[in-house]
Amino acid sequence: MNKKRNIFKDPYLVIFLLFLIYPFIPFIGKYKSLGAELLIWSIFALSFNLVLGYAGLPSFGHGAFYGVGTYAVAITIMHFSSKGVIIPLVMAAFFGGLFTFFYGYLIKKKRGIYFALLTVAFSQILYVIAFRWNEVTGGETGITSLKIGTFLGIGLKDPLYFYYFTFLVFVITLIIIRKIANSPVGKVLLALKQDEKRAQYLGFNTEKYVWYIFTVSGIFAGLAGGMYCLLHSSAFADTLHWTKSGDVVMATLLGGGLVNFYGPIVGSVIFITAREFLSSFWDNWMLLYGLSFVIIILFIPTGLLGIVEKIKERKHIDSFNNGNNNSTMNGENRPAKILNQEER
Amino acid sequence: MDMNVSLVLALFFNGIVLGLIYAVVAVGFSLVLGVAQVINFSHGLLFAFGAYFFWSISNTAGFWIALFLSPILVAIMGLLIELLLVRRVYGQDPLFGLLITFGFALAMEEVIRMIWGKVARSVSTPAFAQGQLFIGDIIYSKYRIILAIVSLFILLLVWWVITRTSFGAIIKAGMFDSEMISALGHNLPLLRTGIFVIGAFLAGLAGVIAAPLWSIKSGMGTDILMPAFIIALIGGLGSIKGTIVAGLLVGTVTSLAVLFIPRFTDILPYLMLIVVLFYKPKGLFGEVTVLGEVRGE
Repeated sequence: MNKKRNIFKDPYLVIFLLFLIYPFIPFIGKYKSLGAELLIWSIFALSFNLVLGYAGLPSFGHGAFYGVGTYAVAITIMHFSSKGVIIPLVMAAFFGGLFTFFYGYLIKKKRGIYFALLTVAFSQILYVIAFRWNEVTGGETGITSLKIGTFLGIGLKDPLYFYYFTFLVFVITLIIIRKIANSPVGKVLLALKQDEKRAQYLGFNTEKYVWYIFTVSGIFAGLAGGMYCLLHSSAFADTLHWTKSGDVVMATLLGGGLVNFYGPIVGSVIFITAREFLSSFWDNWMLLYGLSFVIIILFIPTGLLGIVEKIKERKHIDSFNNGNNNSTMNGENRPAKILNQEER
Repeated sequence: MDMNVSLVLALFFNGIVLGLIYAVVAVGFSLVLGVAQVINFSHGLLFAFGAYFFWSISNTAGFWIALFLSPILVAIMGLLIELLLVRRVYGQDPLFGLLITFGFALAMEEVIRMIWGKVARSVSTPAFAQGQLFIGDIIYSKYRIILAIVSLFILLLVWWVITRTSFGAIIKAGMFDSEMISALGHNLPLLRTGIFVIGAFLAGLAGVIAAPLWSIKSGMGTDILMPAFIIALIGGLGSIKGTIVAGLLVGTVTSLAVLFIPRFTDILPYLMLIVVLFYKPKGLFGEVTVLGEVRGE
């Protein structure tokens, strides 16, 4: 079945365009820092979803790798007087990946509850180090007032320039992660998410795949963290605390990371925007915040895009195609759909 | 020389007291995790509510009423949490149970701040327990000693119920194979609810007895959650003995570590967890295997 490329049905392009023109959107465009934060979170959530939505593993300590990224940039700039931004970001990605490489090796055999709790333990170790190692990380106060350098000679102090720099990083990340997700690696991960024993019987060394994807997700989580540090010119330990890891999990779930590649992006946008506005209006916003976790888990665990997928299914609309399958959905819900992909 | 020995001994006893309180909290967490396979991240919140209820009630109705009423109120809270939230996520991805209880805990922590304010509260030790005891060269707080004894008593009581009664046998069986329990005619949902309520009661009780020792603040729930789950895992799910041993181990090690690495003592529990889990995936005395299994079984 050869469907004509319908540009407006491709979320890839829609997302690209929306973020491209963001600063010019009325009402919301003027909050360029918010826009940058949405992009940064999208990167973070996309990388996280490689582990949650694709491999199906409940990582509850991912904030630590993001936090490592923030400190990598901060320390590189502060202690090594980095003039530009590329090297700090490379360091951020490197260290994010380094820790996930190391942790991934230790954790690749574990699943379920043990996996989840071990990721929390790992992140807490990093948190305590960040919180107490005053000489390097600034301890409780963190690192502040960083002098951010230039990107290839272009100053980044102007929020508009910074926004488009973030956009550039986002697009590159999106392309790479999407390539991974749609590659055979992505398919194997979905297979092991659905039924690991079966994937093993088919000959795949599932542990290696888990290790690999965990490492990759750490690289981009670190990168996102690095961008965050550039955005705020500071780094604090609380990004590594396990309670902050909950944020990215909720954002990813809310958007529908469990069922769709773009879920994390949708979720991040809604989550961050809602949080920003909610916290500025109500002192006790944490109450709604916590309750929203409960409501999402109880009523929309497959997230917003999950609802969209269900609606489209009912209307027999074949969505998100153009030769690619964005669905990270567990095969048991829609076995026929997966078969159709192969037939094409 | 003398000074050092007393310091070490004091730290050691502090560690024991700390470890025992942690163990009381951890036992509840461990039972729920073992029997219902739910990561209850609102467990720390229940501990906090135990302390806060105790503060409020003791200020109005006196010490003894507060002592008896607070854990019961917390147990009721636990009942509600189980019925309304946890029941809906049984059998699903463990992350869901974690997130739903975590979200609830976040929300309720805010409620604590709304009701009791952001200022830390304190409860004084009851009159009969004030003062110090002189053991040889060491001056030790009476309350801490009582605390240790009470905690140990609670733990032994729980241990006795689990290992020596038929109710306990059902619980243990439930950790190995919950389906079989149903098949044998026991009411599994009731059992799960019961365990949850018992766990909540223990957490609340721990909050009550620990209240005079530590300042009562809204974050105390999240603060105790980590030690609780670490000890539960190190000890091994399904083993009360394991939880007690693990609690004592973690408590004393962290306490004594202050002498060597004062800044990074907080890392030790996590390191201990990782080391134990890699050589003994079920924990020191653990017997339950369901949780580490590859999915698809």
